[in-house]
Amino acid sequence: MNEALESLLKNPRVWRARNAATAEAPQGWPSGYRKLDRVLPGAGWPRHALTEILVEHPGTGELRLLMPALAQLCRAGKSDTGEAGWITWIAPPFQPYPPALTQWGIDLSRLLVVHPKQSTDTLWAAEQALASGNCAAVLLWPDFSNFSRRLQLAAEKGRSWAIAFRPLEARAEISAAALRLELVKGERGTDVRILKSRGGRPATVQNVIHEGDRANVNRP
Amino acid sequence: MQPPNKSLAATPGAAPTPSETRARQSLRKPAQQSLPLEPAPRVEPGRDAQASRLWLCLHFPLLPLEALGSSRAPRAVFEEVQGVRRILLADSTVRAAGIVPGLSANAALALSPMLELRERNPAREAQVLRALAVRAERYTSMVSLEPPALLLEVAGSLRLFGGLENLWQGIGSELRERGFSVLMAAAPTPLASTWLAKSGRNIRLLDPALLTGTLAPLPLRCLEWPESVQEALNGMGLTCIGDCLRLPRQGFARRFGAGLLLQLDRALGRLPDPRASYRAPERFCRECDLQEEEHDSERLLAACRQLLEELEYFLISRQLAVQQLRFSFFHLRQDATRLTLRRRQAGAGTAQWSELLELRFDCLALPAPVIAIRLASGYGESLQAASDALSFDGKTGQASTLPIAHLMERLSARMGEAAVHGVALVDEHRPHCAWRATPALEKGDEKGDRFIFPGKINLSPFSKRRPLWMLPEPLRLETVDGEPAYRGPLRRVSGPERIESGWWDAGGIARDYFVAANGEGMRLWIYRERRGRADWYLHGLFG
Repeated sequence: MNEALESLLKNPRVWRARNAATAEAPQGWPSGYRKLDRVLPGAGWPRHALTEILVEHPGTGELRLLMPALAQLCRAGKSDTGEAGWITWIAPPFQPYPPALTQWGIDLSRLLVVHPKQSTDTLWAAEQALASGNCAAVLLWPDFSNFSRRLQLAAEKGRSWAIAFRPLEARAEISAAALRLELVKGERGTDVRILKSRGGRPATVQNVIHEGDRANVNRP
Repeated sequence: MQPPNKSLAATPGAAPTPSETRARQSLRKPAQQSLPLEPAPRVEPGRDAQASRLWLCLHFPLLPLEALGSSRAPRAVFEEVQGVRRILLADSTVRAAGIVPGLSANAALALSPMLELRERNPAREAQVLRALAVRAERYTSMVSLEPPALLLEVAGSLRLFGGLENLWQGIGSELRERGFSVLMAAAPTPLASTWLAKSGRNIRLLDPALLTGTLAPLPLRCLEWPESVQEALNGMGLTCIGDCLRLPRQGFARRFGAGLLLQLDRALGRLPDPRASYRAPERFCRECDLQEEEHDSERLLAACRQLLEELEYFLISRQLAVQQLRFSFFHLRQDATRLTLRRRQAGAGTAQWSELLELRFDCLALPAPVIAIRLASGYGESLQAASDALSFDGKTGQASTLPIAHLMERLSARMGEAAVHGVALVDEHRPHCAWRATPALEKGDEKGDRFIFPGKINLSPFSKRRPLWMLPEPLRLETVDGEPAYRGPLRRVSGPERIESGWWDAGGIARDYFVAANGEGMRLWIYRERRGRADWYLHGLFG
């Protein structure tokens, strides 16, 4: 039955309202999590745009969620002859740990960590990094709001992917981000709740990060 | 006049008149037969060697005035001679008011009360002249400092610059643009060109055979001979060089010294006249005096930019680049404020440096107004940062690495160098030693460091399960019923992984690491100390 249904759904003559926007959305960076890709427009993280991830505490799986895509960006950057493909971390709450990053397949030689002294510098540095065109991704942990428009524009200009991590309280804020999602503790792992998705629709994906596996597995 | 010496009388009769001399010289018979050289050694360099030299003299008659910078007010420079202040040089506008060199300063002020009187500053003049010599090095490798003039040997540069006429126009207009009035002359010998320039005649003399004829009508004041000699010669009725040339050599040497005779011989190309070539120091250091105390950052930046432009010229003419610059802002009553700029990629361009400077200047708090700025480059070792290698494969090299370097430089300039870093792995079992930060402004030597294997390290099989977040310092955990807790009781998921290492230095550890989870969905990397009190610590988060 399922097989028959699948083949029917694959038939191009069948139009599904759910996928209407998805099909038109530009190809995204595959997130490495199939469940998530299925609900994201473009079947992945939006390229050249701002993604906001709301998370209560650092350490709830927010980095694991990104690692497969970042590793893929590194591999894509390596084939480039230019100086693209850098990943910049701005104002991280703790020290990103290089051995673990290597285990996930991140190229450490293209990693830049910035620790601004003031919160205004965080935004400035993020804008510079995004607009420079060198950075495939810029991860930042701002402790203020009202930055989304500027970062979104900078990301478009530099064709880069901005990822801002915010606390859960920021949920009510208005944001220009192409994608906003929230990490919440689910029954057996971490659920991803999509709050806003340009060209898609809000959804909740359960158990994206399982309690049992990812932490123990080095590579996805 | 001195009765003719016996030995001089090769031509019988009285000494020839100047017109006769000139006529003779135009027939390419130099007046040497009237000057038999008894004691003076006679060197006859080959004609070719003579012809291959062309000296261009740039004489700056108003250097004492122009060295003090440009100003709109009427100005004059005075010099203190035996306690009396005497005018040395004056603006053309001031000269019209009757203020001539030699006038006392008070008299000058009486004539023109608005006059801006400045004391002559020989050190500044020398500095300006050296700066001009650096500029002139663009045209030739042989630049000689002859204050207040520069001597350029340009015979070898004529073809490159499209002939003497082009070179002449180019140098002249460049100097005038920079606000210097200059008298120029070209001649086959250095002294001849100096004298010709000083006389103010725009003479371009290429043929050595015409030297004597061209020099002969020059007045004696063009020669920097002592006053007493000039007076004596004038008293003898001699007013031009040609008159001197007609004198008997021996008598001339006896009366006025062999040195002056030597000068004449050198000017005429009969004796070689070697000159020392000016070599600019390989480190750039220049000062800019501000007219008055300045606090406005825009104006200070403009002054800095001017210095940077000079630096760029200096560096580019040497094909050098520097990685580090230091600005010093001098205050009247306080220690100077220093500002060091560094770049990842050594560079020379003004645009890049001034961009970094502006970023730094924003956060710079000047304690007092600034009276002078100094720019020094290549502090210490940095000037070895010469030209970059050309890259032919299009993959490595300056062109492709510049952009990310640019970003790093900008970030470091604004936030400080410590705030921006890369990372590298270190082959080490202790978790907190297994990596290190690599300074962003230093290009990592990936092969040189034995212990660093960026991205290539083969993590040993037992070093699995590393957390993405590392706490800067392990955090001691509370225990509830002997079990650690962090935002709720912790459940151990896997472990222990025993890490015991570093006994050879002071930082030895003995720990049992566990992966633990709490009720909020966090995944933690904790350890139990195996020494002392067996406390629990949180070391990382699995992110």
